[in-house]
Amino acid sequence: MISPEIKFMPLVAAVASEGPQLVELLITIKTPSHSKDLPSKRPSLNLALVIDCSGSMAGSKLSYARKAARYLAGELTERDRLAIVTFDDEVKVLVPSQPVRDPLLFISAINTIDAGGCTALFDGWLAGATQVANQLDPGGINRVLLLSDGQANEGLTDSNAIAAKVRGLTQRRISTSAFGLGLGFDEDLMGAVATAGDGTFAQIESPKQLADLYAYELRGLASTLGRMVILEIKTNPGAQLQDVLNDLPQSSESNFQLPNLRYGQELGIGIGLFMPGWLPNKEIASVSLSWENPDSGDRKELTKKLVLPVKPHEEVDVLDVDCEVAEKLAFLHANRERRLAIEALDRGNLSAAMVRLEAIDERLAALPQNERVQRERSLITEKMSLLRHDPGLSRKRLRSESLRSSLNVWEEVDEDS
Amino acid sequence: MADSSLLSLAVADGSPAHYGLVELLAMAGERLGEEITPRTVRLYATEGLIDRPGKDGRRAVYGQRHLLQLLLIRSLARRGLSLTAIAPLAACSDEELLEQLLQLEEPPAHQVSRESMDPSSEEQQEALAYLHSLQSERSPSLLPLLGSTLGSSSGSPPPRRSLFPRSAGRSSAASSRWYRFSLAPGVELHLSELASIPPAGKRREAWLQRLVTRLREQLSSND
Repeated sequence: MISPEIKFMPLVAAVASEGPQLVELLITIKTPSHSKDLPSKRPSLNLALVIDCSGSMAGSKLSYARKAARYLAGELTERDRLAIVTFDDEVKVLVPSQPVRDPLLFISAINTIDAGGCTALFDGWLAGATQVANQLDPGGINRVLLLSDGQANEGLTDSNAIAAKVRGLTQRRISTSAFGLGLGFDEDLMGAVATAGDGTFAQIESPKQLADLYAYELRGLASTLGRMVILEIKTNPGAQLQDVLNDLPQSSESNFQLPNLRYGQELGIGIGLFMPGWLPNKEIASVSLSWENPDSGDRKELTKKLVLPVKPHEEVDVLDVDCEVAEKLAFLHANRERRLAIEALDRGNLSAAMVRLEAIDERLAALPQNERVQRERSLITEKMSLLRHDPGLSRKRLRSESLRSSLNVWEEVDEDS
Repeated sequence: MADSSLLSLAVADGSPAHYGLVELLAMAGERLGEEITPRTVRLYATEGLIDRPGKDGRRAVYGQRHLLQLLLIRSLARRGLSLTAIAPLAACSDEELLEQLLQLEEPPAHQVSRESMDPSSEEQQEALAYLHSLQSERSPSLLPLLGSTLGSSSGSPPPRRSLFPRSAGRSSAASSRWYRFSLAPGVELHLSELASIPPAGKRREAWLQRLVTRLREQLSSND
């Protein structure tokens, strides 16, 4: 039985017998890597590719979108279904959902896509979702891939309303990924759609990256082990869940939504627990992970009790912090600071945003420097300099990076190419 | 119309010759099992989907290629492909047209009808019902999702690339096409493409009035 593994990694290895105290902890969820016999077991895919072809997509963006769509059609097999929907101010089901027996049929249709009009994003999603729903495969993965370079400016445009509707469909087994292309798309809307859609979020600056993105998405779909993943953290009397650094979407006070589980992946959830003095061997909390198996639709659950060594506080105070945990928590903090920087930007307060970013860098500078930390610092330096001459782009990248705490986010660096 | 189609069937097989429009329609209609109207053929010709007919005096004449094109276009359109998507496929050489038609015949064209007759899973029903409720919720902006014939005859922007309804709005995969409009939550109007809608103005008002009266009668008879 292939199952994820829950591990607790406290920042320091013990809690104090006298309180009160704040205990910082990383919960890691590790999934086994793809074993050799798995490729043949890849679930069949039931996809709708929904392509924005409003006026702003004209030129190279659309030409790459066509190219990437052709790539996608070429990668699927007759076990999979694909529908292609385009939208500008009107929605067109270019190819209704059908098995990919002959990629040429799709390719000919894709070649006819041209650009013009406004962005009826919600209508486009709805038409794509209907194509997938018409052919809903209870034993496969059903997903809408929404590609847009614009703001929704036709039909339903409110991002909370759209996200709520997307979430409703997620609960009915059809997920949605949101891919924003270029500099004009609404990153908040697309982020909300991917979050509500239990899918992937991507911010693509060059249309050339689209084919890589689709490859990433297909690999992700092929290696999905669990969808609609919920982490439940129940503390025992006395202990209090003070903070979840990832700022995960919540379905109840103790239930947090995690991204899809994929083979060979490790998710880290940073939490802060407020505790009184603790007794040895006393359970602090119980953490349950539940997910839906994409093949069978069954929900599975895994529970682990959190128990930590207890020592007098003088001893706890001198314990070394676990560097690996400190680094991961710092990254989660950095993503949160990004969200706060965006809020400051939206208030028109550029200097407050800058202060947030500086705070991230200070925290990262205090860590043992390695490649990962260096990369994160260079991302921050880049955003600071971008804030001065292109705050819009800086905001887009900040949003995308901040979502890494709670979503599967495509990053160019993930690609070998 | 149907009678003349049957009569002209005799001309169909084996003749490489030229046919008149009626013969073309009859041969295509026979093979497809649906009636094709002259209007449809003219539309396809105007849109460049089938080659322009030749001339025999003042009479338009069609050949084998026109027949193949027409068969392919209708077969693909019945599977829900839009005309824009079909256009490049219908522009192929005769051999390729034939090959495509053969391919289409192999897996029976049940894909579209599967949507309406499949004893689908509970989950599928639920997802479709949910999406349907989303569509009904937003009647004012539903038009672009759905049919276009009504739109084009009511003075709204011309259906630039929307000669066919999106399949999301199609209520039946049968040969005559229906356009579906949501008027209010839970209330839909289904319009056949054959319905003739009077132009905007007094005549349209009177027509609408008659519909309202008819609906009122229906409702009170059900009370």
